[in-house]
Amino acid sequence: MWDSRAGFAQRTDGGPRSQDAWFFSLRILGGRYAFEAALVTEVVRLGPLTRLPAAPSFLPGVFTHRGEVLPVLDIGQLVGQGSIPVRASTRAAIVHCGPWKVAVVSEAVEGLVAIPRRAVEPPPAESAGVAEFLAGVAQDRKGAVAILDMPRLVEAARARAVPAGGAGP
Amino acid sequence: MSEEVAQLILFQVATSVFAAAVRDVVRIGTVREVAAGELVLDSALGTPFARERGIVVALGGIERTLVVDRVLGTRNVPLEAIQPLPAFAAACIRSGALAGLVLVDEVPMPLVDIPTLVRERVDRAAPPPT
Repeated sequence: MWDSRAGFAQRTDGGPRSQDAWFFSLRILGGRYAFEAALVTEVVRLGPLTRLPAAPSFLPGVFTHRGEVLPVLDIGQLVGQGSIPVRASTRAAIVHCGPWKVAVVSEAVEGLVAIPRRAVEPPPAESAGVAEFLAGVAQDRKGAVAILDMPRLVEAARARAVPAGGAGP
Repeated sequence: MSEEVAQLILFQVATSVFAAAVRDVVRIGTVREVAAGELVLDSALGTPFARERGIVVALGGIERTLVVDRVLGTRNVPLEAIQPLPAFAAACIRSGALAGLVLVDEVPMPLVDIPTLVRERVDRAAPPPT
């Protein structure tokens, strides 16, 4: 069974071992990035985006999903590495981080991956770009994967935006 | 029993379409004869391609004209079609003039508080106090 509250594997049926951690993996910026799987509620295909006036570049728009309006978060724009192109086939992971619910746009969705916790190493010391939001780095059968601290990333995005009533665009 | 509705004006600035409450609008007209100081050309909505049409609002008894590319007409929408911004978007938007979203055929359209939009633009243009 997967304990979604902890995001860690608790299988006893020959699946991932109890010392494995579950992550959700996306392709972003040409690389593999993963984050705590328990944060993801579903994966959706992006509908047409409505751009919002005075929105920061990392918030390219909103779209409706089952009658709910969801904001889109572009991590590429947030870390200054260009926008992730949005096409009809583009998929996004709907992520809950505290009070925030966002659709994280991706180049491709890989899905759940189980990584032994001992295989997760500290992130590189550099603190520029996406490295600022890394919780660790790891290797699995598909190669290198960077582990994102998604709650910190989403909160940093919010904090970087100038709130209403502040300096205008 | 009649359904509660909001009367909205739909307009376009550059390539984007917006909605605003009709009650906030004094009139719609050409901008050719409006003094330059009363025109709001660029705003958080963008910069219009042309300088032909305007939506006039009153700020403290003074009329200001938001220049737009097209006025698409008015539309009555049920109140439940008007939604607040998603929390994350509301926390990130740099303008207080985005009042929410109107779902038109399930597509969200920004609902703009034009007086606030114009006030923000006028305040930014004003010289800082000495």
